[in-house]
Amino acid sequence: MIDLSRIKKWFNRRKPKRERTYEEEKREFEMAMGQPFISIKIEMPEGLEDLRAQFLNLETDEQFLEEVKDLIKKNLSYKRRGIKPPS
Amino acid sequence: MDATVVIFLLIYLLTILISATALTPLSLAALSGALLTAWFGIQYEVFTYEDALSFIDMRLIALLIGTMIVVEIAKRSGLFRVLALYAIKFSGGNPAKLFVSICVVSAVISMFLGDPMAMLLMAAATVTMTRVLKYDPMPYFLSATVMINLGGISTLIGSVSNMIIGLEANISFTNFIYYLTPCEIMLWALTTLILYTLFKSRLGQKGTLPDLTPLQSITNKTLFYRSAFILFLMIFLFLTLEKLGVGPEGVALGCAILALMLSKLDPAEIFRELNWETVFFIAGFMFIVGGLEKTQILKNISTWLFQIAGGSPSNETLIILWFSGIASTVVSNTAIALTFSPIISSQTISGLNSPAVWSALILGTNLGGATTPFSGSVCMIAIGALKREGIPIRFSDFAKVGLITTVLQLGFSSLYLILRFGIIGV
Repeated sequence: MIDLSRIKKWFNRRKPKRERTYEEEKREFEMAMGQPFISIKIEMPEGLEDLRAQFLNLETDEQFLEEVKDLIKKNLSYKRRGIKPPS
Repeated sequence: MDATVVIFLLIYLLTILISATALTPLSLAALSGALLTAWFGIQYEVFTYEDALSFIDMRLIALLIGTMIVVEIAKRSGLFRVLALYAIKFSGGNPAKLFVSICVVSAVISMFLGDPMAMLLMAAATVTMTRVLKYDPMPYFLSATVMINLGGISTLIGSVSNMIIGLEANISFTNFIYYLTPCEIMLWALTTLILYTLFKSRLGQKGTLPDLTPLQSITNKTLFYRSAFILFLMIFLFLTLEKLGVGPEGVALGCAILALMLSKLDPAEIFRELNWETVFFIAGFMFIVGGLEKTQILKNISTWLFQIAGGSPSNETLIILWFSGIASTVVSNTAIALTFSPIISSQTISGLNSPAVWSALILGTNLGGATTPFSGSVCMIAIGALKREGIPIRFSDFAKVGLITTVLQLGFSSLYLILRFGIIGV
């Protein structure tokens, strides 16, 4: 395998700009090639400030993300049938 | 050897070494070298302050910045993304067709976009496309890298090294095309064929592509059409330069101003996105080479080069091709172009075929950039993107493809130079 330390160093130095450009382009291609996705910004609910760390961890919590995906599926299924999704 | 020559050579070699090992950013290495050159040069009276002011070719800087602005606006409009999407759509999910499409579109895009930006765009396209079709990304990814390095050999704005050589040698946009387009087209075909042979068994089975409508990915259609118009206008003006009596830098800057006006984008935002590191690296390195030129060492190297070629202009052409090609695998091709341009310029040898020698330098500096993972920014970006996507690659896999294609490209270019410029027996 290639010793990536030098490449990593080089790439990291330009990381912010290069990474941003790469991610932006990838997003555009994913959108165009049938894998659209959304990014949602959700603020921390009031009254739960003591659970800040747990809240931030939800971003990478696979089980939580699956539950969100299920919720989206249900919501879209309702919309397909012309029914207002239950609140 | 004079002490000042030794000092200037040391500064030059140190800058090259630092650039090649990426110990500091390229721009910083070149600017520090320029500062030392200026200090020693003026201190030891090798050149005056007024001489030093002429070391930086402002025409080159203007051409570079003007082109960067036009291309940055075109990139933002999604023009190059649409090209890539049409190439994917054209394949209809057929792996062989898709492979050829990716090779061709990578080379076409890199004729306009700088290699690092072209690589980022094609890396994003390749990763997404191979994921959707469940293909092994490596053949498509490595081929795009090699083709991006290859694209743009035959245009003045195809690469930074072309701009340097073109302005130094006074080669017009049309002459660039006249001398090198046949070679570039044949190199595209040859390289695609080699890459196809190497990767044939790994391209995957026919897959189903999603229904692609590339133009739908454009969010600002006005910007898209306007930037496409300006890009074509710039190329048209480059082609008719001789009738206009304006240098290429004038056309590039004029089109850049037009692009900024018509795009209605914030100029400050566009300026922020330009590749200033390249601009400052070139300015600094031009200064170092300017200092060397004043010591007459480059003229001596020029004479020495002709001597080792046995006094034969044809041998010298081939030596320049292979030396610049091999050197570009480890050193920035911009640095090679900046060093060799004054060396070739100072040759006043009878029987020397100037277009052949300049074409050899153009081919050599362009071809060496994708030989190993460390050969240039395009390779490093490719590997960085692969790593980011969790796709492992071995040094040997990359180097095998890079070495085979580079050696065959240099070999073919030698043949082209001999046949195109009739340098046999000269």
